[in-house]
Amino acid sequence: MKDPSVALLQGSLDLVVLKTLTWQPMHGFGIARWIQRLTESALQVEEGSLYPALYRLENQGLIKAEWRLTENNRRAKYYRLTPGGRRRLAEETASWERFAAAIGKVLGATEQPA
Amino acid sequence: MSYQDSERIPESRIQAWRRYLRFWRSNADADVADELRFHLESAAAELIAQGMTPEAARAQALQRFGDLTAIARTLRTLSHEQERAMEWRDRFETMQSDLRFAMRQLRKAPGFTIVAMLTLALGIGANSAIFSVVDAVLLRPLPYAHADRLLNLKERNGANDTDGMFVAFGNYADWAQRVHAFDSFAASRWNGFTLTGAGDPRYLQALRVNAGYWKTLQIPPSLGRYFSAREDAPGAPHVVVISHRLWRDSFGGDSAIIGRSIALSGVPYTVIGVASPRYSLPRVDAWTPLALTTSELAEHGDHELTVVGLLRESVTSEQAVAELTKVETELAQQYPHKYFDGGIIAKPLRESIVGPVRLLLLILFGAVALVLLIACLNVANLQLARAAVRRKEIAVRNALGAGRGRIIAQLLTENLVLALGGGVLGIGVAAFGVRFLVRNNPLGVPRLEGATLDAPVLLFALLVAVGCGVGCGMLPAFRASRLDLQQVLRDGARTDSATLRNRLRATLVVCQISLAMMLLVGAGLLVRSALLLQHVPPGFDSRNLLVTDIGLPGSRYPNDSAAAARFDEILHNVSSLPGVASAALVSRMPIVGGGGDCNFRRDGAASEGASFNAQFRVATPSFFETLRLPILRGRNFSSIDAAGAPRVAVINRRFAKKLFGDEDAIGHRITCNDPASKNAFWLTVIAISGDVHADGLSSDIRDQVYSALGQSPQYELSLVVRGAVPVLTVAPGIRRTVASLDPLLPLGGLQTVDEAIGSSLAVPRFTSQLLSALGVLGLILAVIGIYGVIAFFVAQRTHEIGIRMALGADTSRVLDLVLRQGVMLAAIGIAIGTAASLMLTRTLDNLLYGITARDPLTFVAVAMLLALVSLIASFVPARRASRVDPLAALRDS
Repeated sequence: MKDPSVALLQGSLDLVVLKTLTWQPMHGFGIARWIQRLTESALQVEEGSLYPALYRLENQGLIKAEWRLTENNRRAKYYRLTPGGRRRLAEETASWERFAAAIGKVLGATEQPA
Repeated sequence: MSYQDSERIPESRIQAWRRYLRFWRSNADADVADELRFHLESAAAELIAQGMTPEAARAQALQRFGDLTAIARTLRTLSHEQERAMEWRDRFETMQSDLRFAMRQLRKAPGFTIVAMLTLALGIGANSAIFSVVDAVLLRPLPYAHADRLLNLKERNGANDTDGMFVAFGNYADWAQRVHAFDSFAASRWNGFTLTGAGDPRYLQALRVNAGYWKTLQIPPSLGRYFSAREDAPGAPHVVVISHRLWRDSFGGDSAIIGRSIALSGVPYTVIGVASPRYSLPRVDAWTPLALTTSELAEHGDHELTVVGLLRESVTSEQAVAELTKVETELAQQYPHKYFDGGIIAKPLRESIVGPVRLLLLILFGAVALVLLIACLNVANLQLARAAVRRKEIAVRNALGAGRGRIIAQLLTENLVLALGGGVLGIGVAAFGVRFLVRNNPLGVPRLEGATLDAPVLLFALLVAVGCGVGCGMLPAFRASRLDLQQVLRDGARTDSATLRNRLRATLVVCQISLAMMLLVGAGLLVRSALLLQHVPPGFDSRNLLVTDIGLPGSRYPNDSAAAARFDEILHNVSSLPGVASAALVSRMPIVGGGGDCNFRRDGAASEGASFNAQFRVATPSFFETLRLPILRGRNFSSIDAAGAPRVAVINRRFAKKLFGDEDAIGHRITCNDPASKNAFWLTVIAISGDVHADGLSSDIRDQVYSALGQSPQYELSLVVRGAVPVLTVAPGIRRTVASLDPLLPLGGLQTVDEAIGSSLAVPRFTSQLLSALGVLGLILAVIGIYGVIAFFVAQRTHEIGIRMALGADTSRVLDLVLRQGVMLAAIGIAIGTAASLMLTRTLDNLLYGITARDPLTFVAVAMLLALVSLIASFVPARRASRVDPLAALRDS
């Protein structure tokens, strides 16, 4: 269970959660499933660790929670992105891409250090 | 927390009910549980759909979830944090909107706002100013390192002695050796020097102090060092520590002063240090070593030293005083008849400095507090009047769902805004007041110069402002919030609540009047006492008299005859100046300077017989003529009363009566030594003089013994000059005359005797003026209050008055109706005020001269003043009422 999966870092989990909510409000279980499906389980998220992240994001005002009924008529807590959350996502995405590009350059380097 | 055996729980009714409750008060813990349960149940359902058994599915779901208990705990903590943050945000938002609302309301009523704010500003400002003085003088610790361990120590002379005597040299030396409860003693005595060689010759106030002085009253020097025990010995090289002020003013703050030699009364002294500027009490220019000589150390009857003891750390002041008293008692047995009885009078040093002004400051504080109270009542009254106008507005808000609490909160916010605005203005008033008080310091209050608007004072002003805001807002707010909605909205203009509010407002006005009465009675008593004082005859003619001190330094006047010759010359030359009617020399001028005390006995009295305290003065023959102090019987001093001739004395009439009763005093002898002793120093009474208020007009007559200068050589004398022309114009001539005889002699403390009397009356005058100002302020505020209530009464009764007039009541009946209201309020207020004043003014007793604190004239005058002013205040609205047009009044309603 070690190799192909990657332990997700705290900051990255926030980023993933924010991204997940860009399309529509979702409940915690839904978010967990979506991440699992999209990454084909490459990102090993312990489902429970998702919730503290959600609560923290809510306390920071980046997402907002409300109770709604599911299609099956069950009560569930739905999270949606606030405008602040959307802004944060854009910033984080940009800085993540810069970081990834930089690491990529280093790892793909052919030149020997002088 | 375990969900292992939980079935899929349907949304039960109970849960739905709980959701409903959550609408009112969210239940964070239940929310967390619900959310997690939903997750686990969904996950399990998914697995069951894939064909797992329900048990296996639940186990799998739980395993994939991770540590359920820990996560649930984290989530609960996080959601509580969130909730608290929300609550604060809510509260803050409510406050903000209340604040905005209050500002809007106040802007809508600018007249009310300005009057209320100014009223509060005066009250808060006066209180803050006096508080800053009280703080600086009474509350702040002394600047010394161990201020709380310092005791001022005096010797008691007789069981009735509460002030105590200064300490005799020999006794102090014995204390220092034999008493162990103190770390050290500071011993000091006054000394005067003439500083020459640094600008004009200058008279210096100096203290001779022991080396322990610096250890006891510890503040590090600004420059150089203080002197040591080795330098505090007879014959040691002359050293001096100068004050920070003298260093700055006469030596330009030059640090090269250390080690320099300066001339004090013609003798060179080496400056070894500049004292810290915090040595501000008493005001001293220089300190030289006390250096007690062997003969001084053997002296137990000459009480000259001010002594302060520094308690050992672990010793209480009771223990220390007990030990000291034991030693003192032994000394008293060893040296009888030396003006101490073995008792010790010990006071904390701060108490001994500020004690005399404490009562005065507390009275002032009480007076400004009364003014503030009146101001607050006024604002409350204005608010009640406004509430009447705003009833509709409040009723509407109430109908729209604002609860009573919200309405009270809003009204209180409005008051707080008012009071804080008043507070800010009040700090301006206080700044002005403090500057005025510090600059004038007419009371001669010690440590007053430290009064500033510092943090404690600003905090005090803030607290007072908030207190006023809440205090004077509470009543109107509660009253206004307790409205009968429907009644108001139905527009019952004249309801029970209107009369209720009237009664409340009337009560407030009665309080104001009685408070104003207390203030005015206090002020009236002080004014009357000050007036009486001004007209007390001092016992001599104080007009057009000039007095100045001349001290001959021992270094240049080595013996008595040299000094006597120089004084003779000075007196002779000054007497013959044009414009001088007569001149005299006296050891201490009555009123201007104190007097040395002595306990006298008459001839034939036993050693243990009754003795009588009197001041002892040495004077030239011209003294009585110059002061126009009458000699009632007997002969004046003359040139035959010289050294070697029998010693003679003039005593005042009252003293003659005390000593000799109906016997003729002239020819009898008196002494202030032990009559049995061979060496007793006897004086023969040659004349009886008039009585004088030698300690100032506010003090009783002091008994006097005058002795002839020719028989008691002096080095320091006061020159008294009566002018034939306005005496101040002669002053330059006197200066020149003295300078022509000895250019190094300064004239100290040159002033007219009337000036000296004036400054001795400054305290009662200033107190009475300040209290009068506060009294007038209180009166004005109370008058505004009466006016407001009567005007409101008239406004409310316009309809009724209209009917009365339509039914034939004439103008005078209407006037009468309205005036009666005002007079009633004033009468009740005055009655209560009189009772309260009778209780309160007793605190003034010690400050009054010539009247008691229950002086009927003052009480009656103040009561009449208040009644008159109340009548005038109600007359204005009464006239308006009497001019009501009945038709218009009836139509309006």
